[in-house]
Amino acid sequence: MNTIPLFEKHRPKKLEDVKGQDIAITRLRAYLKAFNLNQAKKRAILLHGPAGVGKTTLAMALASENNYELFELNASDLRNRKKLDEVLKPSTLQKSLFSKGKIILVDEVDGVTATDYGGLPELIALIEKSKFPIVVTANDVWQQKFSLLRRKCELVQLKDLDYIHVLDLLKNIVLKENKEVNEDLLKGIAAKSRGDLRAAINDLQSIIHTDAEYVHEDHIHIREKAGDIFNALKSIFKTKTNKDTIETYNNIDMELDKIQLWIEKNIPYEYKGEALVKAIEYLSKADVFKGRIYRQQHWRFLVYQNFFLSAGISSALPDKVPGFTKYQKPTRILKIWMANRKNAQKKSIAIKYAEFCHISKKRALGDFFMVSLILDDNMVKKLELSDQEKAFLQDYKGALKVAHGLNKFALEN
Amino acid sequence: MVNINSSTIWTEKYRPNTFEGVVGQEEIIKRVTNLTTSLNIPHMLFAGPAGIGKSTLAIIVAKELFKDFWKENYLELNASDARGIDVVRQEVKNFARTKSLGNVPFKIIFLDEADALTKEAQQALRRTMENYTSTCRFILSCNYSSKIIDPIQSRCVIFRFKLLERKDIEKRIKLIAQGENLSLDEQAIETIYEGSEGDCRRAINLLQASASISPTITSELVNTLLSSAKPADIKIVLDYALAGDFEKSREKLLDVMLKESIAGTDVIKSIQKEIWNLDVDPELKVKLTEKTGEIEFRLVEGSDEFIQLEALLASFVLAGLGK
Repeated sequence: MNTIPLFEKHRPKKLEDVKGQDIAITRLRAYLKAFNLNQAKKRAILLHGPAGVGKTTLAMALASENNYELFELNASDLRNRKKLDEVLKPSTLQKSLFSKGKIILVDEVDGVTATDYGGLPELIALIEKSKFPIVVTANDVWQQKFSLLRRKCELVQLKDLDYIHVLDLLKNIVLKENKEVNEDLLKGIAAKSRGDLRAAINDLQSIIHTDAEYVHEDHIHIREKAGDIFNALKSIFKTKTNKDTIETYNNIDMELDKIQLWIEKNIPYEYKGEALVKAIEYLSKADVFKGRIYRQQHWRFLVYQNFFLSAGISSALPDKVPGFTKYQKPTRILKIWMANRKNAQKKSIAIKYAEFCHISKKRALGDFFMVSLILDDNMVKKLELSDQEKAFLQDYKGALKVAHGLNKFALEN
Repeated sequence: MVNINSSTIWTEKYRPNTFEGVVGQEEIIKRVTNLTTSLNIPHMLFAGPAGIGKSTLAIIVAKELFKDFWKENYLELNASDARGIDVVRQEVKNFARTKSLGNVPFKIIFLDEADALTKEAQQALRRTMENYTSTCRFILSCNYSSKIIDPIQSRCVIFRFKLLERKDIEKRIKLIAQGENLSLDEQAIETIYEGSEGDCRRAINLLQASASISPTITSELVNTLLSSAKPADIKIVLDYALAGDFEKSREKLLDVMLKESIAGTDVIKSIQKEIWNLDVDPELKVKLTEKTGEIEFRLVEGSDEFIQLEALLASFVLAGLGK
């Protein structure tokens, strides 16, 4: 059994095989040439762009195409000065044992911290004295902490991949894997990947080994670009309320109603006591405006919903607590959905009972604890309960008897 | 007197089939019997609380009128289940299209819980009633006749059902206990009556639910069953909040709401009732009740009832801090 992930297995070995990033390829080649001639204006090249568009792949292809050794450095794993030193210095100061050159790849520099443990200053120092070309990759290069790094590197922005490119690459992989996947399904995967090729290939992998008839486009879920909401939460909860606070949500790709759920979920992890109470109060007010927007279609009220969710929540605690908070995904909607699925059995049993007994569904549901006990095997047959309903009824009765100690009455006789 | 068919739901098995079998509503029975035997039935409105024989009487009227063909000539609809007046109208239309079988010139439509319909829906119902008067008679039931619009009330003969007395329910319970070989003492009967709140259906259900646990029915068993129906968990939710644990409190609240599919408006009612039993200053109770009122208002205005309930829990957290 082959356990290499598909996207690793089909990672292009040459630059020309990387689709949709032609400008970046030209500039990478030019940078390498200039560097070797000692004419490069900047000593490192920084590829930045969203996840899964080929930043790492480009660096790898650049190396293998020129028969260079790639020295990969995942900055997420190296958060302190010592480690960066150990790994970077020997390779920058010594020439490779073999005559061929070497490229240093500093991957995902977003994870490097700016101050507490160093890392970024060290990286910049290394860029200045490195004898080898350095390729740096980052998702969001416009963060404050990267201002110096931006000046030291040649910036190359990678764009989201075209739907067409993603689709072509998927088809190509299916062909190479000798599989058959319905074209509509591939189109669905490509569309839902939103230009994230790695995501698309992962999705493809999730269905390529499944029987075609069980797979439906709906099984491929759109990826939330959750990175953005985390930053937004951070600036609401961790930055002193300022004139930009109410703009926090403008740049993230998420509806305000969904943001409201994220805020709701995470307030207690940031605020305690009176600050918590204040924040929830603003959340409640934001929701009142949300209700008015929906009922009256008065969209002007969106201003207030946004205001309470941003400045309101932020101002609940004027003296911010620094440090890292692990924000959590809202789960309430999922829980409601699951409970509804479970309660669907309860409802359908109640409907059958209600019809039999000439009462309303509502009353049957209200008295369900009695109804469940009354429905014996005979009635289960008569009401033609499905297997699922039977199983639910059995569980429900069991739980009821245990929770209220009803079994002891049965034992007495 | 009691027709024992194969049904094992006792409310159905022991549902009276004849006018004589109905307990408690002597005066109404007399009048309805006369109307039925004269084959001259007006539209009727049965008003009164749940479980005192409104549906039963409607079914008996149909059985007396149509005998073996009663099912073909009788349509039962529940206004609180039917999705809107359009559904009611469509069903009535389909049913009223064909003539009745036998020598009775009309069919019977029983619309249960008619007071669940909005005023507008009742206006539409009024027109439907007029359109089909030649082929159908309506029997409407409601808990409160004041919730039925005047034009409908004026087109109906109104029968106000009395609340059943203890002796009526006791009679029924004893009859069933005998039929089902149950042993039950006076105290258990008393508890069943108390728990039924005068609702005969509930009393019988309580009896059968108890019997499903044990054929010897004690007052303790009935009480245990009754207590399992109450959402005691709201108290736990409030206790967590008062102790300052907002997260646990809201988690528990969501659990309770989802498990029993309780709506936010019902939760707030329980909270409002619970406040007076809390172990806090009377002054604070007033403050909390004031906040509860405010939140109940926001619940109506807002869009996400859980967020509003969280805001209320936050007030309890504050109260717990002594502020």
